[in-house]
This record gives sequence, C-alpha cells and structure tokens, in this order.
Amino acid sequence: MDAASRPAVVIDNGTGYTKMGFAGNVEPCFITPTVVAVNDTFAGQTRANTTKGNWMAQHSAGVMADLDFFIGEDALARSRSSNTYNLSYPIHNGQVENWDTMERFWQQCIFNYLRCDPEDHYFLLTESPLTPPETREYTGEIMFETFNVPGLYIACQPVLALAAGYTTTKCEMTGVVVDVGDGATHIVPVADGYVIGSSIRSIPITGKDVTQFIQQLLKERGEHIPPEESFDVARRVKEMYCYTCSDIVKEFNKHDREPNKYIKHWSGIKPKTGAKYTCDIGYERFLGPEIFFHPEIYNNDFTTPLHVVIDKCIQSSPIDTRRALYKNIVLSGGSTMFKDFHRRLQRDLKKIVDARVLASNARLGGDAKAQPIEVNVVSHPIQRYAVWFGGSVLASTAEFYEACHTKAEYEEYGASICRTNPVFKGMY
Amino acid sequence: MILLQSPSRFLLQILQDRVLSGDKGVDIDCHTVEFDDVRYHIQFSMRNPKVMVLSVALPLPPPEAMLYDGLPLGAIEAIKAAYGPVVQILDPPKDGFDLTMKINLTKLPPDEEQRNAVLTQIASVREVVLGAPLKLLLKHLASKTVAPNVDKLVALVHRPNESFFVAPQADKVTVVYPMRFQDSIDIVLATSFLQEFVEARRTSALNNAPSCLWSPVPPLELKGVPSDALNANAGFVTFVVFPRHVEGKKLDKTVWSLLTFHAYVSYHVKCSEGFMHTRMRRRVETLIQALDRAKSDAEKLKKLVNGGSFKRLSLNNDGN
Repeated sequence: MDAASRPAVVIDNGTGYTKMGFAGNVEPCFITPTVVAVNDTFAGQTRANTTKGNWMAQHSAGVMADLDFFIGEDALARSRSSNTYNLSYPIHNGQVENWDTMERFWQQCIFNYLRCDPEDHYFLLTESPLTPPETREYTGEIMFETFNVPGLYIACQPVLALAAGYTTTKCEMTGVVVDVGDGATHIVPVADGYVIGSSIRSIPITGKDVTQFIQQLLKERGEHIPPEESFDVARRVKEMYCYTCSDIVKEFNKHDREPNKYIKHWSGIKPKTGAKYTCDIGYERFLGPEIFFHPEIYNNDFTTPLHVVIDKCIQSSPIDTRRALYKNIVLSGGSTMFKDFHRRLQRDLKKIVDARVLASNARLGGDAKAQPIEVNVVSHPIQRYAVWFGGSVLASTAEFYEACHTKAEYEEYGASICRTNPVFKGMY
Repeated sequence: MILLQSPSRFLLQILQDRVLSGDKGVDIDCHTVEFDDVRYHIQFSMRNPKVMVLSVALPLPPPEAMLYDGLPLGAIEAIKAAYGPVVQILDPPKDGFDLTMKINLTKLPPDEEQRNAVLTQIASVREVVLGAPLKLLLKHLASKTVAPNVDKLVALVHRPNESFFVAPQADKVTVVYPMRFQDSIDIVLATSFLQEFVEARRTSALNNAPSCLWSPVPPLELKGVPSDALNANAGFVTFVVFPRHVEGKKLDKTVWSLLTFHAYVSYHVKCSEGFMHTRMRRRVETLIQALDRAKSDAEKLKKLVNGGSFKRLSLNNDGN
C-alpha cells in the first residue's frame, strides 16, 4: 500500500487556531490553539554557557528540554498551573515567526494528535497569500527533512476557502475571499482559481483586535475582572455573545429600553484566590464586531471600513472579472462567525455599488443604462474552518497527488521546488 | 510525552463529546488513519444518536504471522472481556475492514469516573485487538507457564507486512524486533538511537527494566525463520521480559509498549531530527552575530547612507 492510497493529512495553521485532520472528512479532527508551552529553564542555561564553550553541559541541557513541551489546550493549562513553562505563539499575523516551536508544534500534531506516521501520508499545508517564497521553502525543508513526508502541497488559504464552496452549490472558482482570522485579515480576489496578486488588500483589524476592543470596553466600564484573565474573558465573550447589528443608534436604544433582554452576565472564578466574580456584558456585544464597519471607534490610524476596502479591491481587479467578483464574495475565518455579519456586509457593499451605478447612469443621461450589478456575500455553516474543508476536498481528488511536490523531486532539486506557488502564475 | 499514549485522542474526543452532548443527534461519518496503517471508520446516525458504529482495519499481515479468522488470536475474547455489554461485534465486518463494532453509549456506567474509564478503554481498541495474542502469552508468563498449543517462536503482526517475534518460555519471554526504516538518514539515526538505548539500560536507575540487546545480525532465537522476514536494515532489538514485568497492572503497559516499539523508535528519530535542526538554527544565529560584530564601523555606516542592502537581480540572473 503506497502513500497515495491513504488519505492525505490536511493541516491549516492559523494565527489563533490550528485545524488538522484527514482529507475526505467533513470536519477537522482537532481544532487547537496554535501555541506551544516550552520549558525555558534549560535553554537559558544553554545561552549562558555558550561563551565558555562548555558543550557537554549545553548538550545535556538541550537534550533535557528536547521533549519537555506541550501544545494546544495542554500548553495553556500547563502555563496556568506552573511557572516553568513559557507560552510561545509560533505564528504572528499569519506568518511563521519562530521555526523552532513551529517544528515542535507540527511534531506533536502529527505524532500525538493525529497519531499518524508522516512517511505514510501526503501532506497539505496552508499559507497566507502574502507568505514570502523563503518561508515556503523553509516549510518544505522541515516537512521533507524532519518528517520525510512522501509529498507536500502548500496551498493558498483563500483559494481553499473558495474551493470549500465548490462542492455545495456550484463550480465557481472566481470570487473575493474575505478572510478574517485571529491574526490577519486579507481580501483576496481569485479568478478561475488564480490569485490576482496585485489586488490583494489586507487591513490591520483582526479577530484579536475585536477581543482587545472588548477587553478595553469592559475595563473602562469598571467590570471586576481579574487582570490576568481579562483577555481570556474578552475572547470568550466575543465567541459566545457578539453579533452584528444593522444600525448602532437603534441598537443602543434597544439595549437601553430592555436591558434585561439584551444584557448578558458572565461569571467566573478568580484563578488566584478562587473567589467568584460576575460581570455584565452590554454594548460590547454589538460594538465588538462593529470595528470592521466603523474602525474609527477603535483606533485613529486606520479608518477605512471593511466594505470600502472590498470595493476598492474589486475596482482594482481586471475589468472583465469585476462582475463575477461582486457576485461571489466568500467569507472565511473564525472572526466572520458573528451573527448577521454577511447581511451587514452585503447591505453596505450594495449601497456603494448602487450609488456608483446611479451616478454613471446620471452622467450618461438616458443614452445607455448600466446593467444592475449583483452583490452577493456568501456564508456557509462551516465558515470557521472553510479553509480546512477546502483543503480536505482538494486533497481527496486524484489530481492532488499529481500536483504535490514529491520527496524525489525535493532530493533532486532541493527546497527551491516549494518556492513558487502555481496559483500565483507568473508572479515570481 | 516521551511515550505514545494508548487511547486514540480523536476517538476519545468524539466519544466524550457525544456522551456530554445529550440527545442531540448529528450525523458523523469519518475516516482516520493511525500509524502502522490502522484505519478507523466512525459512524453516528441521526436516528440512533447514542449508537456508534466503529470499524477498524488492521495492518496487512505478513505470511508468517499468526492469525485466526482474519483477526489476531484471541481478539474477540479480549473485546468481550474488555467492554462487556457496551459493545456488540457485528459479523461480517464492513467491506474493507477487519472488525466492526456497535457501541451503545446508553449502556455506559452512570458514574463519571467509571464511564471515562470505559471510554478510554474503547478508544484504546487498537491495544485490545492487536495486543490480544501478546497479552495471552504474557499472561501465561505471569503465572510462569507456557500457553498450550503455541509454537516455540510466534510471529505477530505489528506493521503492514512486517512482524516481530516472540519466543515464550515458562520463566521468560524473548521478544525480537527486526527494525526497518525507509530513509537513509533515518537508518543511521535509528541505529545509533538503538545503541544508545541499550547503553541507557545499563545505568543503575534502570536495573529492573527488561534487559535489552541490539545486534546487526539476526539473533539465535530467530533460527528457522524465512529470510524475507529478516531483512532488517537497522539491526535487531531483543527484549527479555520476566514475570515481574507483567505482574498485575503492569501487564497492559508492557503489552502496549512492546506493540508500538517501532512507532516509538520512529517517533524519537523524528524528534531528534527536529532537535538537531533547532541546534543548527541556533548555531547559524550565533555565527551571524559573530560576523556582524566583526564588521568595521565604517562598513555599517556606509550601509545606512546608501539605504537598503538589496542586491538587484536581473531577469537572466535570478539565482536559481
């Protein structure tokens, strides 16, 4: 039985959460936080000793620390209960920053979570559209050298997100992917499966900013939340209670009129003293997601709302793709899961487009009339792991195995085979 | 996380979610693969949200391995003994699988601790099924007898088309693993890993561990075994298990460790490669720092004046 007859392993490493599982399934096997708890007490000694050239001590210290680490939920639990472990987030804003911990993270994903032998499976990994070729090379190096994978495909996240919609309704590989993750927000136009690289837009407002904004609101109102927990509580509030409103002023009125209906309560236990505490969750329920549509309420540096950025992105794409792009705007990533997010986005975007059509009609007088433009924001129930699902669909086709870089190719040409990504044709 | 855990994390997670989720029924139909080609197919249907149908496919057995009706010897009895009324074996198994079980979650014990113990046991189905013959042999060792009607040398499946050998005697059981690896670097690393492994056994802290030997040629116990089964490229590892290693609760642990020895070694070979990469990266960093320090001040200043340090590449000279 060769590797191509076994299902491929699909791992989508996001800034916040990693989704992993086997191709052909509908859901990933595990969704865990992308975090590694490393025991740094040994590494510290190693650094101190380097000048003395005491390599034996260095060696044994390194060996001790080699397997002393945890990932995912275990890592968070460990760091809470003891001081010897330091948390390290290997991915920042969609880019791998710390390769040591990233390699360890993969190691644990493969051996301890999925429990598969990496030599037996093809692998599909994902990357953000702005990943430099060097990073891709490095990823390939780790996968082929450390794990001996028989084949590897590094896919572009937005293309996979589009592919996720592919099976359910239609075979549409043209569209704009609005990927709002925990660490990066990208708006990527894709035409017939190829990324239009020059029109990619990214905005500095991400899921983490929503969390920070909620944390700030809670703090300013003077809720009694222990400071070490406040970020975590804000994250949970975001995931459980936030929604998108259609009009802020109306929403404020609604909350004021019927506080009992809208204000939720949060109760937790202080980790240090074990005492209970409660706090109210009010306006932040709709103000959190609102920073995508009115960024000025969060910071002054970036004030272009999400729908305007999407419109600009489509306007900068080739003219013959624009209609198709407006028609298929696909949401992906955990931070698009707020209730009615797609409705709000569609309405706001439609307003801009309609205004433009009206203006052009007025300019032309009655001679020519523009055809109305269809604006369609698509949302699926699997939005949170749409990228993973797209990967799972793609990796279960027979063509996938032909598109992979194989171990033989790697040994023949080296890591540079991973440099180019076929969906960015002609970019590098 | 030095040892591999016996329960499959994914199975355990699905079972626990399902037990806690109440009567909400969601269709689940998924396939997973574990190391050594053990495949699972998990099914839940809308109609019976508390009944899970679990199919397991085992690694392809080599010709010399001991089998009974497609399953390892004593597997059916082991399943019945381990799970009791919770599990019902369906015969014949699903197409492409060796064993199909129906697990009725309503029959779990109500007490949370007991229930979790049973769920963990179900998640370790691999150990129960594949480890059944080994457990049988080791159980006899615990009572210092030899199992009746068993050959002098038993071959047991442990990886697809590969087996390991067990020579049961009344006072000890000898287990021999031919070690095979695909990649040339892996072979070297595994060989030195195994030599270190044997060396580590000699330290005083591990005096009570089973004695362990490594040799590049097949040991004497394997006389008479067909030569295809002996083409190991990373030598042969021999463990001698004494009755004290299989007393009471130690039995399950010993069975699991012996059963997954190859996976254990290959896991650690990969870990050492990762570890070496970490060290190489650190070394490069320090070397770059040293280079930076060696630069004269004038050079550093020049760079700042000129702006960036990019070298412009022309089209016909792009470095590849």
